[in-house]
Amino acid sequence: MAYAYLFKYIIIGDTGVGKSCLLLQFTDKRFQPVHDLTIGVEFGARMITIDGKQIKLQIWDTAGQESFRSITRSYYRGAAGALLVYDITRRDTFNHLTTWLEDARQHSNSNMVIMLIGNKSDLESRREVKKEEGEAFAREHGLIFMETSAKTASNVEEAFINTAKEIYEKIQEGVFDINNEANGIKIGPQHPTTNSTLPGSQGGQQAGGGCC
Amino acid sequence: MSDSEATAAEGPEVAPNSQDASSASTPDGSTPTTPDIATDVAPTRKARRRPDTKTSAEAEQTSKVEQQPPKTSSESTVSQGGWGYWGSWGKTILSTATATVATVGQGLTQVIEKAETSLGIPSPTELSTQVEDEQQQQGDASSDTDAAVGDGSSAVGSAMGMLSSLTSVVQNTGKTVITGGLDALEFIGKKTMDVIAEGDPGFKKTKGLMNRNATLSQVLREAKEREEQQTAEEESSDSEKKVVAHYGMLFDEFQGLSHLEALEILSRESESKVKSVLTTLSGDKLVELREELDHIKDSFSLMEFDDEDVDEKKDEDGTEFEREISEALEGLSVSSTADKLSKTCKSACRQITDMTHPENEEEESEEDVKKTVSVEDVHAAAIRSLAELTARSIELFHKVAEMILFSNSSTEAGVLSQLTVVLCKEISLLSKKFTSCLTAAGSNEKGDVLNPLITGVFLEASNSASYIQDAFQLLMPILEISHIQRSAESTEQ
Repeated sequence: MAYAYLFKYIIIGDTGVGKSCLLLQFTDKRFQPVHDLTIGVEFGARMITIDGKQIKLQIWDTAGQESFRSITRSYYRGAAGALLVYDITRRDTFNHLTTWLEDARQHSNSNMVIMLIGNKSDLESRREVKKEEGEAFAREHGLIFMETSAKTASNVEEAFINTAKEIYEKIQEGVFDINNEANGIKIGPQHPTTNSTLPGSQGGQQAGGGCC
Repeated sequence: MSDSEATAAEGPEVAPNSQDASSASTPDGSTPTTPDIATDVAPTRKARRRPDTKTSAEAEQTSKVEQQPPKTSSESTVSQGGWGYWGSWGKTILSTATATVATVGQGLTQVIEKAETSLGIPSPTELSTQVEDEQQQQGDASSDTDAAVGDGSSAVGSAMGMLSSLTSVVQNTGKTVITGGLDALEFIGKKTMDVIAEGDPGFKKTKGLMNRNATLSQVLREAKEREEQQTAEEESSDSEKKVVAHYGMLFDEFQGLSHLEALEILSRESESKVKSVLTTLSGDKLVELREELDHIKDSFSLMEFDDEDVDEKKDEDGTEFEREISEALEGLSVSSTADKLSKTCKSACRQITDMTHPENEEEESEEDVKKTVSVEDVHAAAIRSLAELTARSIELFHKVAEMILFSNSSTEAGVLSQLTVVLCKEISLLSKKFTSCLTAAGSNEKGDVLNPLITGVFLEASNSASYIQDAFQLLMPILEISHIQRSAESTEQ
């Protein structure tokens, strides 16, 4: 499928907060309670529509384990968006956010849009981190914030799509240089509008080559 | 010259060769660095420049040809001989072949036929049916390289006649070049497609793009984007058009591109770490480390791939492949990725079996359900299987890289090169099986329908093998840095 833009996302956060489950819910619309430990990085992709434009999200789901950090950090570069995930039922995953954020800011480009996600909102009875705390942290560090449930799919779509909207707005404002792929944005293949008689892109650049 | 010598000689001989061609064809024309090889190439350059009255189409093609060599040289610096066994010689020979073909400047089939006849390569249909024969011939010839070259008979003869300047290269690699079906296609393959792709959307894929000054994943991404654009064109213009199987798009769908990109990131970072370690060392320690790293490098350049073995055992359902893979990967903790790979392989084998024996099922009263398989179906299944298997292979290499960096375990390069051989063999085997299927399914089709499909399968198979070997080369800096870290740890203790 043709797309107007491709955005690269990374998903980061402590192990077991539900990063892979969020991705699976977003790409496959299903929930898998028992998930293999992610090694290094895994991938997902999905097409979304913003402002009438097809946008392809290429998502890098990183391993949360501390021991993988040195590897996963390598993957941060060139991401346009990041989902920073914690588990609302585990206070420690919230406490580690600052480290994650520093890491992300240090190893990626400064314009990267970061969405803070408090996952497992379906487990209200076991909640350890108040929603207000998440909101406050996000406000303090200039992040977007949402609580989601990968299990019930609540807010999962919104989390991915709102991040994309923010990136899209930044493109419109000219904050992102879309021609620099280090920003994690790629322009999709151009639709043939004028010279459809010339096959392929070669002909497009040197139109009038008289090749028939 | 013995076999192993020939293989080892390819890299250094071929790389400067292509650089020469590049410097000679650039306007400023810097002096060739290795004169002896430059003379070898000279006749070809003349041939390329001969037509003064070019049509614009030819001009474009020729300029494309002239653009190739610099990219080749820069690529080889990036991955340090990243063109493995098939790649390096293939490039040089093929850029010459392309040059010859480019001046002809004809349509797709003509170009293919021209290339095939002038190189003495049998038609795709023949190739796929000859598999059995070749098997025996290769068996006989395997003892003696010279005999094997002669065995290629007319193929070698006319190829050498026409491309006499390349004789030495052909002789060095002759055995594998000419006897195997895949290799023969490689002969006209990658570079020629630059030209051919101009005219035919079905072939306008990854071929030729390999010349870009780009990383492998960029090349594949570009190919995929072209295909996407093409699909968009087809959708908008003509809904009745046949659905063409697009290798690049499928490869991306199976996340091959992403894994490749990630592998490239790890490879690049490791490479720069190795470099910075080397700059901090001096004296004996530096010499020592360099020797150790050279040892690792050697394991990456001495990869053997014998096409002969491919035919000899028929791995009907993919269990043999599974066994070999798990053997090669023992102790690397990437079993779930390896499982995916084996499943892909088995499903491809199943498809082939289903397509090969539809008659039996028809007889069993399923006539109305089970129609005869069309050549397009077989072709699509073949391209899809190749794309998936390649994507899974690259995923496996990526996971192996992560595990090496993660666990810092001692991994022998030999194991990985063995893995690469197993994967390439499987690709080769599958492509042969699929083309046999194609031949069977298309017995009533005309040659101009069937041949491009068969050629397409062989070409994608040869590209798949190149991608796998390039991915393998990306592992080298990872093994190097892992080795450095391990020895640093052991001295600390």
